[in-house]
Amino acid sequence: MDSASKYLDLGEPSRSSHLWKYTPWKRVHPSGNIGEIPKLSKPKLSLSLLDGDDAPDGITLIEGGKNEVDLPDTDEITHSFLEAISENSKWTLKVDKGFHSENPVVLEIEAGDEASSCHISLDIGESAEIEIVTKVTGGKDWFGLLRTGEVGSGAILNDVLIGLMERGTMLRTDSISVGRDAHVRAGTVSSGSEKTKSDVRFRMGQIGGSVRVLGSILSTESMHLDHHIEIHHDSPQTFSRLSWHSACGGDSRTVGTGMLRVSDGSKGADAAQIFHNLLLSEKAEADSIPELEVMEHDVVGCGHGTANGPIDEQQMFYLEARGLNKQEAKRTLIAAFLNSTLSEMGSERLHEWLVSELTKKLETLES
Amino acid sequence: MATLPLLKISSLRAGIDDNSILKGIDLEIRPGEIHAIMGRNGSGKTTTANVIMGHPDFEVEDGEVLLEGKSLLELEAWERARQGVFLSFQYPQSVPGLQVGNFLRKSVSSIRGEDEAKGAGFRDSLKQAMESLDIPRSFLSRYVNDGFSGGEKKRFEILQLMLLKPKLAVLDETDSGLDIDGIRTVAEGVNAAIRGTNSGALIITHYSRILEHVMPDKIHVLMDGKIVASGGPELATKLEEHGYEWLKED
Repeated sequence: MDSASKYLDLGEPSRSSHLWKYTPWKRVHPSGNIGEIPKLSKPKLSLSLLDGDDAPDGITLIEGGKNEVDLPDTDEITHSFLEAISENSKWTLKVDKGFHSENPVVLEIEAGDEASSCHISLDIGESAEIEIVTKVTGGKDWFGLLRTGEVGSGAILNDVLIGLMERGTMLRTDSISVGRDAHVRAGTVSSGSEKTKSDVRFRMGQIGGSVRVLGSILSTESMHLDHHIEIHHDSPQTFSRLSWHSACGGDSRTVGTGMLRVSDGSKGADAAQIFHNLLLSEKAEADSIPELEVMEHDVVGCGHGTANGPIDEQQMFYLEARGLNKQEAKRTLIAAFLNSTLSEMGSERLHEWLVSELTKKLETLES
Repeated sequence: MATLPLLKISSLRAGIDDNSILKGIDLEIRPGEIHAIMGRNGSGKTTTANVIMGHPDFEVEDGEVLLEGKSLLELEAWERARQGVFLSFQYPQSVPGLQVGNFLRKSVSSIRGEDEAKGAGFRDSLKQAMESLDIPRSFLSRYVNDGFSGGEKKRFEILQLMLLKPKLAVLDETDSGLDIDGIRTVAEGVNAAIRGTNSGALIITHYSRILEHVMPDKIHVLMDGKIVASGGPELATKLEEHGYEWLKED
């Protein structure tokens, strides 16, 4: 069955599941008519180094998809829908086996003025070491992104997605398989679109895999940003940490739901997740639901937690006592809060670049 | 014409949550002077420091606090800092995500102006101050007070004092939790920042040890929200030997 038929067979998802509780499907569907599979534009994709130079040999962006195996189970609705609408907008980002770059690579996706979507397959070769930033810009209407792929054995990947759409809605689904002894840091920086529905999943199906998922989310005005993260430990000696920081201002809402699954036989698994929400106004709302499903008793640890609160008055006083006025102190504390996860996403060079991108957004934040 | 006092506190009454803590304090510090306040726990020492800095939780019921003749009481904490008031916190706040180097630049820029926070001049004075306090270079990339030991926190407060060059430094138990070497290092930092300048300092402490290194011009004893004794360095020695009971009897 093709993706379009599969999607149409599924019907409307139930809001009883966490995935759809806060953001119903029709709210993020391009037209709101969930029985429709619209024909969308293709976004413009370009690959370069962070300093603007051409991407080096060893990393290529090829039009067309590839066959993938061992991907984590994803939500069938969004996966099949994105697959169907991106039938003619498929790309493979291939990093050669053993390729090593100190300079981060930027995959820029210019979403355009009309609704658009694409499917990107990540093919990270064995023992490659690379930092990839996927930067989504433009996008005034609707943008859909399906990312699937495999991180080869022994590879080290810092993979950051920064959403800087001007407005509109972004629908994102990631389904990534992590190879033996591979290390992945996956960062999400989100502050652009009015609505975001994101579902990011990793599967560690081989021994020794490690995944660190980090989020720095800034929501302002009436934004609605909903992120779901799942990490599947399907092999022994696998490690994961999920750390998600959301700062919510205006009358915006952020949602963070996490699921750590440790399957039977994943001995020595070590998994933990924490959601922190900083509430910047009385009307802002933040919901976090961290969940665990642990089917193996011989684990190093499995923990979860969530913390919500406004800006700390004692921290404000400390900064004010050092000469920062109230607005500067508040901005500094928001930036620090987001930086706690941002700084863990990659190298110092990448971090500096991410900070400069986020600072531009903070400057527009209402006092 | 006599110079204005650097700090003049008159009949100061203040408290928190409807509890009066300071019950009429008078204190005058002239330019170049270092004073110390000693007292038992709960006597009002930290309240005095917070009221001078403008902590919003504390309410001034009566009295006046003047810096070089200008009232501080109507000013926000950040305005007081820009007027030249510095508080070394008893429990400095940690700010995860905010790097020390970045924080110092912001703070110096806010108080002393943008030009003072950039270029070789800033780097040199930062390097010199860090060396004098035995603070390694790697400190700059750590987050403000996050995971710092007690001694590191206090040395970081003094580093800020040295860079911000305030008119008035209030040190709230900066010596507590420090070993002998740490106390000496902090005291040297205070002396370097205040002695030989027109600035002044108010050191709040439980112990006489830091005062042996700083040698204050005057010592005041605070008891139940009032200054009950003032004197020279010999007062600290007497308190060390006899405690505070004899003051109650007087």
